[in-house]
Amino acid sequence: MADPDEKTPDLAALGARVSAARAATEARGETFYQGASRTVLAGFPPIERWDDWVELDSRAWPKRVEHHSMLVPTTCFNCESACGLLAYVDRETLTVRKFEGNPEHPGSRGRNCAKGPSTLNQVTDPDRILYPLRRAGRRGEGKWERASWDEALDAIGSRLRAAIVEGRQNEIMIHIGRPGEDGFTERVLASWGVDGHNSHTNVCSSGGRTGFQFWTGIDRPSPDYANAKVIFLISAHLETGHYFNPHAQRITEARASGAKVIVVDTRLSNTATHADYWLSPRPGSEAAINLAIARHIIGSGRANWDFIRDWWNWQEYLRDCRPEGPQTFEAFQAALGEIYDGYTFEYAAAESGLDATVIAEIAEVVAGAGTAFSCHSWRSAAAGNLGGWQVSRTLFFLAAILGAVATPGGTFPNWYNKYVPKPIYTPPHPQVWQELSWPLEYPLAQNELSFLLPHFLKDGRGRLDTYFTRVYNPVWTNPDGLSWMEVLTDEDKVGCYVALTPTWNESAYYADWILPMGHASERHDTHSYEQYDGQWVGFRQPVLRAARERLGEDITDTRQVNPGAVWEENEFYIELSWRIDPDGSLGIRSFYESRARPGEKLSVDEYYGWMFENSVPGLPERAAGEGLTPLQYMRRYGAFEITRGRGAIYSEDIPGDELADVAVTDIGRVYSATPKPDSPNLAPQGAPEPDDQGRRAVGVMVDGSVRRGFPTPSGRLEFYSSTLAGWGWPEHALPGYIKSHVHPDNMAADQMVLLSTFRLPTQIHTRSANSKWLDELSHTNPVWIHPSDAGRLGVARTGDLVRVETEIGYFVAKAWITEGIRPGVVACSHHMGRWKLVGHDAVGSGGMMATVALDRDREGWTLHPRQRVKPYPSSDPDTQRIWWSDTGVHQNLTFPVHPDPISGMHCWHQAVRVRPAGPGDAHGDVWVDTAKAHEVYDRWLAMTRPAGTFSPDGNRRPTWLMRPLKPAARTFKLDAAAPAGGS
Amino acid sequence: MARAAVTGPAADTVGPARSATGRARMAAGDRWELLRALGALILDDPTVTPALSRALGLPEWSRADHTGIFVLDLPPYASIHLGPEGKLGGEGGDRVAGFWRTLDLDPPSDADHLCSLLALYAELGTAAQECVTAAAAARLDHARAVLLWEHLWSWVPGYLAAVAQDPAGKAWAELTGQALRAEAEATPEPPELPAALRHAPEPLDPGCDLAELLDGFTAPVRAGFVLTYRDLLRAGAEIGVGVRRGERRFALRSMMEQDPVATLRWSAGHARRWARIHGDQPDHGAGTGRWWAQRAAATASCLDEMRAGR
Repeated sequence: MADPDEKTPDLAALGARVSAARAATEARGETFYQGASRTVLAGFPPIERWDDWVELDSRAWPKRVEHHSMLVPTTCFNCESACGLLAYVDRETLTVRKFEGNPEHPGSRGRNCAKGPSTLNQVTDPDRILYPLRRAGRRGEGKWERASWDEALDAIGSRLRAAIVEGRQNEIMIHIGRPGEDGFTERVLASWGVDGHNSHTNVCSSGGRTGFQFWTGIDRPSPDYANAKVIFLISAHLETGHYFNPHAQRITEARASGAKVIVVDTRLSNTATHADYWLSPRPGSEAAINLAIARHIIGSGRANWDFIRDWWNWQEYLRDCRPEGPQTFEAFQAALGEIYDGYTFEYAAAESGLDATVIAEIAEVVAGAGTAFSCHSWRSAAAGNLGGWQVSRTLFFLAAILGAVATPGGTFPNWYNKYVPKPIYTPPHPQVWQELSWPLEYPLAQNELSFLLPHFLKDGRGRLDTYFTRVYNPVWTNPDGLSWMEVLTDEDKVGCYVALTPTWNESAYYADWILPMGHASERHDTHSYEQYDGQWVGFRQPVLRAARERLGEDITDTRQVNPGAVWEENEFYIELSWRIDPDGSLGIRSFYESRARPGEKLSVDEYYGWMFENSVPGLPERAAGEGLTPLQYMRRYGAFEITRGRGAIYSEDIPGDELADVAVTDIGRVYSATPKPDSPNLAPQGAPEPDDQGRRAVGVMVDGSVRRGFPTPSGRLEFYSSTLAGWGWPEHALPGYIKSHVHPDNMAADQMVLLSTFRLPTQIHTRSANSKWLDELSHTNPVWIHPSDAGRLGVARTGDLVRVETEIGYFVAKAWITEGIRPGVVACSHHMGRWKLVGHDAVGSGGMMATVALDRDREGWTLHPRQRVKPYPSSDPDTQRIWWSDTGVHQNLTFPVHPDPISGMHCWHQAVRVRPAGPGDAHGDVWVDTAKAHEVYDRWLAMTRPAGTFSPDGNRRPTWLMRPLKPAARTFKLDAAAPAGGS
Repeated sequence: MARAAVTGPAADTVGPARSATGRARMAAGDRWELLRALGALILDDPTVTPALSRALGLPEWSRADHTGIFVLDLPPYASIHLGPEGKLGGEGGDRVAGFWRTLDLDPPSDADHLCSLLALYAELGTAAQECVTAAAAARLDHARAVLLWEHLWSWVPGYLAAVAQDPAGKAWAELTGQALRAEAEATPEPPELPAALRHAPEPLDPGCDLAELLDGFTAPVRAGFVLTYRDLLRAGAEIGVGVRRGERRFALRSMMEQDPVATLRWSAGHARRWARIHGDQPDHGAGTGRWWAQRAAATASCLDEMRAGR
């Protein structure tokens, strides 16, 4: 301690000096010091030191060897969260040393899940595709020759040009997996005049989306978890397996503040392990549980009647469904009680197999949440069941009854919390309608009927001249993958298959062209996602390009910095569009020309520079404050928060200058003759139709003033969907309960339900298979079986092989006997079972792909593993350290398609028979009868109510519903003629 | 109690500490700024905080010195000094985390790090200054006083004494000690000893076995002293036994096995030295210094007795 004889410092003076030093440092825009947050993982290098960040090399210890890095932000590409990454670019070697979180990213706030840092594995994967490849032998034979980008561009560009010029726009299709960007690909197709956007959404989330869209006109929820009192999840997948980082961290905050978490999931998910209440219902009964809770809220007097009176379309319901009765709110209150009176706790218990007292307890917790009720349902039950979309519709019903809509701790429509900046060019809507993606049988489908494409092609509904997959693996991801393989190998059905992919996959084997695209640190994209009540834009960028530009180099093409000849889609599509229309005569090239340098190609710098300068409010000012251009700012920070605390936008008054020649309907819908104000935010939402006079739907009348309302036909939350009623489904126009195809009534006594949709938090479909760290963490997918079922079936122990028989085939997998699954139900994650074919030695992802023999006879297809994963030599010494051999089973091959007749969602749950494997069975074996698969497709197709018969207005589809890449209005008409050639 | 707005430093484990609100708040009081800065110095690599060292008039640490003191020899955690095992976390960590929660704050994972505690202390002081009502300010001042007596004064004076024995740490330790004493003098005395001392484990017993003895030596709250690896090196040189490389418990066991009598004698001397150090502390905190001095003296007596029994 201090010697009292020594002169002691003046503490006040010292404190003043420290304060002054802070002020001077922060005036320079620098960080004075970071303080105690550095003691936890949230400590980050201060941004002013990102140009030269020094760390010691741990491997050199005890020598003190310094690493000097440039820290360059980008966003993760492994799921849709778009979490911020910070690439540590070695200043000497100009290679990426590691990825960590970007503290400047408002969504992820510096945190990542395992998939983020593992981007490094994907970049350095010794098996990745580095150069364009052209098929050399028969399609699927596994012979390739290296080609130049020019060769690929010329060959593909000429095919596309011919198809466009000859009026065969519908023979062009780009099929994307998880987009990882906001709208670029859609605008490319629009510029070509092609309605060829196809997505994986109908095997993913469209069931969940449908329920939200019919309520709010917007197809995703945005729960304000951090401020919630009660969090109700029928969506374990979302919170622990997919978008989990930004959501999970906010759920954790809420729990620390005392929030209760309720998880409804038949399987004990990671989320369920953290829940206050875990309910394991019979699959498909979730909507019945929700409705019992709704009944309790109404019956116990906790409904938010003021909110319901103002914001539900109860008047429309009474007018259309109870025209004889009084048209009063009191009458509606009584009706609401009547409608759901049958959904007692006892009924829900009988349907779900849960205890009625447990449901009652949950109901009371929910009822007590008030307006701080956050809920989510994404895949899970909504993606598994016939009528699964009613799971999310009945879930949002609870939020709507409580008035927990766009409230602190409530559930927002995602449009409130998403921002898609308008780009430099916005091509017009295509003049064609793609029947292969949007068939007449599914007028209300939330997204493209992508997983039915093989069957449509087999039925002769059309052909594809040029089919792109973009970071997507349809053979592996979709149900009935062998039907996909059958059409991809048939050149009469698919003339040219182009796989844009960073890695090998089961579909790319059948491609004519493999074009290598970059990973998260090797490409440009913008991205925005709902993760809290605010809006942000994230910027993905090729980090080595940004790093070298910081060093003064002029990089004009991302291939200059990417490994091999790996490219990015933006520059690829700009170049491809020029090859399609080299002289501009088709009107395509104009969308890819520089504005600054007329006649020259648009660069990505100009593209994003314009966007950030003109379409992101507040960004130019913020950038200028730091002496940067908006593009420089985004290259430096990687993300920008536009707004926070959006609140209840639906209740905002419409400004007077938006109101002219106003018309108000009997249910309070307000139309105005003013044009829609131009908005730089293109985030998707519903587009209510104009009235008979062409006036646009501008709002709703509430308490004598015109409010914004919701983008639904009525302008209010649609308890009653006139759309469902009008398009042939009046029995499902209200939130309700549809008995699933795996309801006990629909299954044989010896069948069980197979849950197949759940994820592992450390993998992301096939996209992450070339990450050695993730592969080591998760590489197999045993079948979860409850001990009581195992005993009944004669499965003695974990690891024993079981044969799981679906309607069209079977697969053989290892059993995992666990109480984490409900009796009568089995589960198998869909992440595993990767394979490559015998003889395709040059391709693969060494740590995750078994080598299989794939044979076909009259009976069907047989897939049999020939060689398990094992250590192998490569440029990465770690491939010699592969200690696992079991990479699971590809179960999706054995699933027939189950398109929900309303949402179009593939209903993943399977009714299966499980038995111990036979003597000839091997782990990973698959057998499938694709003829039988087509029969199942026909049976489900017969459940539809096609637009040709049921359309109330002569359209193929309600025009107000969201649709990626909406074509021109005229194409919606059932009798619309195809355009006469050209775009 | 009003929720204290702890931003930037300890409680904001999420965002960077460079927010505009953080800046404004931190500029509010030089007194708090000083305490924050003293904590930040021991947290960060010294190359990160040269401006801080300069502002405080302290000599700049080398990285090796900084790591040697604050990472290897004397990690500045309350749980190490007040926990019954002398280790990170456990009961000692829980007690501090509970204090954060009592304030309606989420404890960061290193809530009991001296930097976190000083930052929280400063934040409570800042928040009290910004309170609109006197009642709210009084509640925050009370919370700050509890933090001082229960979680800082209860162990930090001894810790600083240990740091001051290293020439590289002396200046910082003395300045921090001065600042802490100033806080203690400006704060009403508590009615009783801090809970960690009231409920401290029993002192060492002469009948204990070697494992218990080693456990006690490495838990300050049991032995009443701080024993660093540097101390053991000095002991080895003084009594002529080899000090094996390894953690302190391992090295001590080896010394006891080589020459138990000499090792016990040195240890008793070490305990007496610490009894004096504690006894020289200002008499604040309801006799906190006296408690530590008595504990160290009891250990010395115990060791003498053990040695006599051999």
